[in-house]
Amino acid sequence: MATFKLDDQDIEFLPGDTILKAAHRAGVDIPHYCWHPGLSVAANCRMCLVELLPPPGRAALKLDVLRWDPEQKSYIKEQKPKLVPACQQSVGEGMQVLSQNSEHVQKARAAVQELLLLNHPVDCPICDQAGECRLQDYWLNHQHEKKRMRDEPVHKPKAVVFGPTIVYDAERCIVCTRCVRFCEEVAKDPVLSLRERGNQNEIVLAPGRQLDHDYTLMTELVCPVGALTAQDFRFKARVWFLRSARTVCVGCATGCNAYTDYDPRNQQVYRHRPRENPTVNGYWMCDAGMLDYQRIHHHRILKALVDGKSASRSSALDRAVALLSGTPSGKIAGVLGAEYSQRDNAALLWLGKQLGIEAWFESGRPDGKADDILMHADKNPNSAGVRRLLGSEPRPSSELVQGLEAGSFELVLALGSSLKSKEGDGPAPIPGKRIVLSRHPGPLTEGAQVVLPACSWVEAAGSYVNAQGVEQSSEAAIEPLGDSAAPFELVGALCAALGHPPPEPPKGRGHRREASAPVNDSGNQGASAS
Amino acid sequence: MEPLDLDLDASEIELENEPMLLNIGPAHPATHGTVRLVVELSGEVIQRCDVQIGYLHRGFEKMCERGNWTQVFPYVDRCNYVSPMLNNVGFALACEKMLGIVVPPRCQYYRMILGELARIADHLTAAGAMAMELGAFTPFLWMMKVREMIWDVFEEETGARLTHSFGRVGGMARPPTESFVEQVGQVVPHAIQVLGEAERLLVTNRIFLDRLQGVGVMSAEDAISLGWTGPTLRASGVPYDVRKAHPYLRYGEVDFDVPVGEHGDCYDRFMVRIEEIRQSARIIEQCLGLIPADGPVNVDDPRVVLPDKQDVYTTIEGTIQHFKIVMEGIKIPAGEAYSYTEGGNGELGFYLVSDGSGTPYRVRIRPPSFYVTSGLEKLVTGAMMADVVPCFGSLNMIGGECDH
Amino acid sequence: MAQALIEHVKKHCPGAVLQTHSQFGDETIVVDAERWLEVARLLRDDPECDMALLVDLTAVDYPEREPRFEVVAHLVSLRLGHRLRMKARVGDAEGREVEIDSLTELWASANWAERECFDMFGVRFRGHPDLRRILMYPEFQGHPLRRDYPANRAQPLVEYRQVENIDKLPPFGPDEGMSFGRQTHDRRTSRDADGEN
Repeated sequence: MATFKLDDQDIEFLPGDTILKAAHRAGVDIPHYCWHPGLSVAANCRMCLVELLPPPGRAALKLDVLRWDPEQKSYIKEQKPKLVPACQQSVGEGMQVLSQNSEHVQKARAAVQELLLLNHPVDCPICDQAGECRLQDYWLNHQHEKKRMRDEPVHKPKAVVFGPTIVYDAERCIVCTRCVRFCEEVAKDPVLSLRERGNQNEIVLAPGRQLDHDYTLMTELVCPVGALTAQDFRFKARVWFLRSARTVCVGCATGCNAYTDYDPRNQQVYRHRPRENPTVNGYWMCDAGMLDYQRIHHHRILKALVDGKSASRSSALDRAVALLSGTPSGKIAGVLGAEYSQRDNAALLWLGKQLGIEAWFESGRPDGKADDILMHADKNPNSAGVRRLLGSEPRPSSELVQGLEAGSFELVLALGSSLKSKEGDGPAPIPGKRIVLSRHPGPLTEGAQVVLPACSWVEAAGSYVNAQGVEQSSEAAIEPLGDSAAPFELVGALCAALGHPPPEPPKGRGHRREASAPVNDSGNQGASAS
Repeated sequence: MEPLDLDLDASEIELENEPMLLNIGPAHPATHGTVRLVVELSGEVIQRCDVQIGYLHRGFEKMCERGNWTQVFPYVDRCNYVSPMLNNVGFALACEKMLGIVVPPRCQYYRMILGELARIADHLTAAGAMAMELGAFTPFLWMMKVREMIWDVFEEETGARLTHSFGRVGGMARPPTESFVEQVGQVVPHAIQVLGEAERLLVTNRIFLDRLQGVGVMSAEDAISLGWTGPTLRASGVPYDVRKAHPYLRYGEVDFDVPVGEHGDCYDRFMVRIEEIRQSARIIEQCLGLIPADGPVNVDDPRVVLPDKQDVYTTIEGTIQHFKIVMEGIKIPAGEAYSYTEGGNGELGFYLVSDGSGTPYRVRIRPPSFYVTSGLEKLVTGAMMADVVPCFGSLNMIGGECDH
Repeated sequence: MAQALIEHVKKHCPGAVLQTHSQFGDETIVVDAERWLEVARLLRDDPECDMALLVDLTAVDYPEREPRFEVVAHLVSLRLGHRLRMKARVGDAEGREVEIDSLTELWASANWAERECFDMFGVRFRGHPDLRRILMYPEFQGHPLRRDYPANRAQPLVEYRQVENIDKLPPFGPDEGMSFGRQTHDRRTSRDADGEN
């Protein structure tokens, strides 16, 4: 494969690559602010400047500069090589690039860093980006000196509300234009642009508009400093207390790969971030998915319910066993959960097979908004997985309601909170007896005889099959909240109580409780693309 | 009343002739430090001895892996808690070895003076406690009085008498106070004078000499094989002092002698410590003349040393520097290093393994008194019960260091 | 100085030295674990090495490497003045088969050092006369310095006593006692979740 030399290393590159892109792919870091692998090249931060040695036989391009000599107390004319931005310079075979080994590059980086911090407010103690801020990291590594300016820094608007999700701080902004380019190129909604020039530069909204498209939280993700902050995460948690679990978003059938950031001390999830996966979601996630983590802590069923009253898990299981044993198998309807993992659904299918259940329906959220960027109309992560396990389409939910009213079904064994239906929220209160394993309250759990609390997707490892048919595994982050447990464990307890063998995990990935590196992403498992 | 044994035949009286197992438990008035000796006695003679340590094990090495490099300083303080400055200096030098930085001369002399003061305190405690355990309470109290004066110096400089956590990677926590040179210059001659008085009480005392001379003899080969270093090794005749053999800080520039014993008995170990106090006083006096009156105490590297609070509150660079050093820790390059200094009891070594992040991967404290205490079994076996006290006292086992 | 020493070792024990480095100025050799005693004996007895002092023997746990543990010995020659670090890698990923020869027949300081290594890491030293725990009590389960031993696990020999109203013992709960400067305005413990405090 074609290679070029970066410092003393040989780096492979693909045709069309720039120096920075090839280095990024090889895992070598050239400091940068405004470049992003998923966006176009702007080359306005000038932090990635590198020295390009000229091809043999040609002289290097030099610039005339003046250097202050403290002994002679005057300026001396000198020449220094012209440095090129690595994000813009395309790579050729045999190119020689100096990044760390060049003194000019080090001086350039120190100078850029000094200028970027010149008017920067002393906000680290209150800035959410502290701990994952490039200004902090690059200052320590590349400049580590005080700035020479003695004037008052420029003051600009702070805490400008851009929209329902994003707050902008103009003083912290380094005007890298990543947010502008993102809104234009990826979200296809050019609502942000620049205003003024020089050190008065700031980001503004288009007149009369708010930052309200479906990918606004991605602007906060791409911002390398704390200029754009999410209202949802602002002042909630410090990032060095958060651990990241590699999960899959369960907001829709796209199955974007995500990091779930949680604090292990109080077992709370604070945010999602996208995880890079070139085939599924690239570098991005939609707002609905990013905010989906709130469902983990709100409106949860955390205790078992028997006839609507709190009970212990063992009494709920006893009641469920009594119901299941007392009903002929032809009259039991099973409901698989399109929001639940492969392992949970496989366990329920197994129990159904032991009991002789043949009628299978599906629970899940109704269809929602779709677009051609990332959002899929099917708002359930595992619909394809359910079909794969079942081997066929589940029957339509209206058939179940009719069957319960007519008497051909007496008992429903359900995984999920509401039956899937094309219109609205699912059918109104359902007659008949029900045993429901669910995370949230819903039409299925209302008035059910037995409700067993299921844990959310971050509390147990599992795998989900997305709309393209790719099975992706998701790690567990926090311990199950309250009394909840993974559905496959609850079904296993039911099997044991009924005297059946325990369910076998389905063949596929990600079925161990301990965190294993999911095999679905392209190899950049630890890298976040911000 | 009739004699009780009138009807007993001599052959029916069975006397035990098995060796007696005696427990000199972890809490004992005559052993300073938490160590348990299980001795097997035959009459007064010790036939076997099992030295059991670990009563003060606090898991320092495990705890060091859960913080920053700077957060290790309070832990090493509590290792040899009678001379904590020497531990601080040793660890700081180990970190600086891996970082490749050398502290400014003012800091080097400052560390030397405070370190030697701590060494004097350590040796005073050891000698005084040993005398006290033999029954001489007065010299012990006089030496404690001197130790209080040394601790007054530490309190003035660092804010704490004993566990001050004053060392930092790249310098010290604060520069010397204005009264430092004067105060130390008054304390040291007074200390030597009181030491002379206390020593005169002891070294001509027949009982003291009888209990120490010829007791607990360790030959040089055995001492080296056991890993002994420091005053106990020097008492056995081996002139090995890390300050002379591998000079660090400015020990190569000051003049001092290394006292070496001849017989390797408890008396030699006691006298070596007394003489070392005098040599430490010599070092301190020379350093007081050599320490620069002003100049930086910390090395000028923003990746290692915290900035002034003024800068932290008013400039972004100061904030970032403070933030990175405090939240993420000093980033010591990945690799491993073993750095050694002369602690109160011998070669105090730090074997550090770093993975490049601000958290230590492994901090191994090589405790000199661990190896010295392992020799107690050899010293005491075949000796009499009463010899345990001076033997153990002469080893100066510091529980915090031995058990870390 | 120690470089010549390493060459000497390589010449007299061919194949035993797997790797060398001298990070930060410390000469280090990585030795095949099977030849540990042989190399140590050469270092002690050969007059050109004369490493009479075994200054320290310890281990380091690298759980993502296989072999997992590294037994590290530091040797000093008092007469010749050179130092050497000798390492050997033992043990598989689960922490089994962690065995290496004991050096007690060469240096008496190895006795207690190896006992501590066994206590903290579980490294068994073949030929050690008395391999038992030294710092921990005999009823202790596990090897604390291994990376997978949780740092907050307590194994009390006597059960901790149950105390009612633990917030009423010093340090006081948020609404009691003098404030002493401690601000605990929003601290809510799980005990307060039902609204009592």
